[in-house]
Amino acid sequence: MFSEWLNETWLRVKALWRRSELDRDLDDELEFHLAMRDEKNRQAGLAAEEARYAAHRQFGNTMRVKERNREMWTFFSLETLWQDLRYGVRMLRKNPGFTLTAVLTLALGIGANTAIFSVVDAVLLRPLPFPASDHLVRIWESKPKEGYFRNVVNGLNFLDWREQNRSFESMAAISDATVNLKINGEPLAVQGLSVSPEFFSVLRATPHLGRTFTAEDGIPGRDNNAILSYEFWQKQFGGRPDIIGKKLEVSGPPPEIVGVMPEGFSLPNNKADIWIPLAIVRTKDWGKGRFLTVLGRLRDGVTLAQAEQDMARVGDFTAEQRPDFNKGWSSQVVPFLQDETHEVRRPLLVLLAAVGFVLLIACANVANLLLMRGTGRQREMAVRAALGASRTRIVQQLLLEGLILSFSGTAVGIAFANWGLRGLLALIPSSTPLPLIGAIEIDRRVFAFAFIVSLLTAIVFGLAPALRLSRVNLQDALRQGTLRSGVGGHRILRQSFVVIEIALAFVLMVGAGLMLRSFEHLLSVNPGFEPEHVLTMHIFTSPSKYRDDQKRSQYVEQILREIRNTPGVRSAGSTHFLPMTERISSSCFSPADQPPPKPADAPSARFLIISSGYFATMGTQLLNGRDFSDRDSFGTPSVMIVNHAFVEEFLSHEDPLGKKFHVCWSNPDPAEIVGVVADARHLDLQEAPQPTIFLPNAQAPMYFANLVVRAQGDPRQITRSAEMAVHRVNPDQAVSGIQTMESVLSDSVASPRFQLALLLIFAGIALVLAMIGVYGVVSYSVRQRIQELGIRIALGARAADIAGMILKDVLFLAVIALTIGLACALILTRVLTTLLFEVTPTDPATLLSVTCLVFCVATLAAFLPARRAMRVDPMLALRDE
Amino acid sequence: MKEKRENPGDLLQGTLDLLILKALARSAMHGYGVAEWIHQTSEDILKVEEGALYPALHRLELRGLLSSEWGTSDNNRRAKFYSLTAAGRKQLAQETEFWRRMSGAVARILQTA
Repeated sequence: MFSEWLNETWLRVKALWRRSELDRDLDDELEFHLAMRDEKNRQAGLAAEEARYAAHRQFGNTMRVKERNREMWTFFSLETLWQDLRYGVRMLRKNPGFTLTAVLTLALGIGANTAIFSVVDAVLLRPLPFPASDHLVRIWESKPKEGYFRNVVNGLNFLDWREQNRSFESMAAISDATVNLKINGEPLAVQGLSVSPEFFSVLRATPHLGRTFTAEDGIPGRDNNAILSYEFWQKQFGGRPDIIGKKLEVSGPPPEIVGVMPEGFSLPNNKADIWIPLAIVRTKDWGKGRFLTVLGRLRDGVTLAQAEQDMARVGDFTAEQRPDFNKGWSSQVVPFLQDETHEVRRPLLVLLAAVGFVLLIACANVANLLLMRGTGRQREMAVRAALGASRTRIVQQLLLEGLILSFSGTAVGIAFANWGLRGLLALIPSSTPLPLIGAIEIDRRVFAFAFIVSLLTAIVFGLAPALRLSRVNLQDALRQGTLRSGVGGHRILRQSFVVIEIALAFVLMVGAGLMLRSFEHLLSVNPGFEPEHVLTMHIFTSPSKYRDDQKRSQYVEQILREIRNTPGVRSAGSTHFLPMTERISSSCFSPADQPPPKPADAPSARFLIISSGYFATMGTQLLNGRDFSDRDSFGTPSVMIVNHAFVEEFLSHEDPLGKKFHVCWSNPDPAEIVGVVADARHLDLQEAPQPTIFLPNAQAPMYFANLVVRAQGDPRQITRSAEMAVHRVNPDQAVSGIQTMESVLSDSVASPRFQLALLLIFAGIALVLAMIGVYGVVSYSVRQRIQELGIRIALGARAADIAGMILKDVLFLAVIALTIGLACALILTRVLTTLLFEVTPTDPATLLSVTCLVFCVATLAAFLPARRAMRVDPMLALRDE
Repeated sequence: MKEKRENPGDLLQGTLDLLILKALARSAMHGYGVAEWIHQTSEDILKVEEGALYPALHRLELRGLLSSEWGTSDNNRRAKFYSLTAAGRKQLAQETEFWRRMSGAVARILQTA
């Protein structure tokens, strides 16, 4: 019997895929029959027309035959479907309270999923908008022994890679660059990228106007060209078509505009308005330091593993060529999309999982609603069964009602999602934008996702009740008066749904609770500086104008002096990387009294190039010795300051003052430690202070600086005057990134804050849904037991006994749910480990408080119906029957 | 495995199924051939309602009693040929036996006068 059913189902499923073929076969078959009959009739002596007519007459209605056969091959006919659909809509309309609750619950779940999925899809799933983007990879250097991964790349190493590799079609190096332009006489710092000429061909990007870079642009002296972004061209040059060949106004030799890229062209993480050539050549300078990022395009047919192997070989070559610099280093090949999104992948997937939980809870709620409503429909089901409806037909009917609910929920949910997405995107901190090129919107893919989710949802919440309800006992159900007592059978099922809901909500709450604790810890970290009253701004000095080190070193000092003389300013200083902006630089160093080790062997420490007054402005305490001063300049002995962590790690038990070190980054003569400062966090709030060397900008000048200015009052009020002070020194100096240090600090925790906010929202929704679930089930069971309660009260049960009885059931369920939830939470929250700060996923305080919270909420949800149970009037309850 | 007789009252239906199975017992045939075979073999007494023939063939195929294959007819046309499966043969034997007993019983009743 079963094998026959299986065979039949298989044939039907097969028929689903080849519906049109089936139709054609059927046509052919009947056509053949008619033709044969026609021929026979003609042989019997009928005229041609007469013969065909007779054949058709003998056959009867061919359409009807086709229809019957088609129905046979498919699962159900359109006609019955239409009937069931109308019936289902009628049933749902008859019960607006139920329908509204179910649809809204589902809309909430599906809407949240749709909104988050649209973000996940846009960021993680959609291929990057470059031709054959799956061939694009990032290539990093790495030093596994010291835990350096995805490390930026040295210039000469890049040249070796480009020449020696056999797996890449092309390879390009990229470096950040700010370009100081003059637009209508106003200096403007433009975010740009310095790229080796292959950049555009690696991405296979073609220009909107003009050309992209050619190999010639990579030759020093011929590299004074620039390519603009479409947006910049529109905004600053009004989209003038004759822009190609024009010179940009800068302080220094003006670059020529050779091209404009198409609209929207950008890397996910590096938005740029201008691209300038990066001419990397085999000079000594390019052999120092690592600061390039490298993008490559794999040859057709080359796998990632092959490319890695190839790069390992090339890595051996570079290590052989420059062992001092490269020993211990190798390379790392990462698919481009994965590389660009690696920071947001986990948080986004956690959020997606969280909304998935919300949807499951919504499903459990609706399933329970269906079950409870279904009890009232048992007689209806029984009547249908008695009238000959098969069980399949009834299940089909119930599932169809589920589908109607789920599709309505999806329609409303997409509206929710549309609205919620806008709020979500507005919440995303502008300081940490998502790595994304296109827009996030509810498009066809997202619609398809929502559609599939709603189908699955309908099955998840609809199947159990449908199967359960279709199993009716005709006689029991049809007999009057047994309606109430006949329902006890679903109790376990209903309770299981409630248990699942509470457990899921608990897991979500634990996740959110852990994030909350982690965020609390993060905010309570002492950064080691005082951000209040501090204004920061970025200046980038044009290399062409300040190529001379001494001139450049004086330039920043000059600007700082001018700012210090501005009214309202208490102090000012500079640093090459601002704290809390996730930018660091490291250098090797060695004691001056020992022969210098090879760079690859020497210990390394973070370093910052700062001016005098930096520590005073930031409020970082000087523990020992002195700050840099005007006396430290070119020509005076080299000096350095180190932090407490440096002393702890490298100079414990020694007096640090007066010790001398070679610092690989700066000039060859050793620098003497003149001061020790307290530790401050630099990369972000999470990372513990690292050993750091501070070098004076006056002796080791950089091309860029972040100015920090401490104001007497509100730092925003000195913005204009500080900027004017800069322009008094150099009217062409563009100033960018003007921000208070407080907002820099707050931006640095924007991502965890965003994750936390969303998780809290979803956990809150989950808890409310679970609460509604508990409430629904308890109040239903009170209604079912009203006679029993009436009898108990009539027999003298006290109100407290009754309430206790009801609550005891719920608490029992809650305990089971919390046990399951706890087990799940212990397994699942492990994925949060990397997102948490100073909190372990098994944090007992969090687990305990969330347990209490969920327990209280469940009790509260049961309390209202329990109170109703206490007030049951025995007379009314008993008369009711 | 005992086949449950659906709609036992629908004698005609069951009869058509039986006749189809019988027609196909000797060799594979297309629908038209089945109709003609029944017509001729019954010496023009039984005329298959052609509108009912094809639904019956497809139903038997879905039940796994028949299998089908597209081939070329005697006059070189594309035609669907049906043949009995093992289950079909078994079914034919059972149905034939049932029919014999049934018609025998009916005949005995009619003989008593």
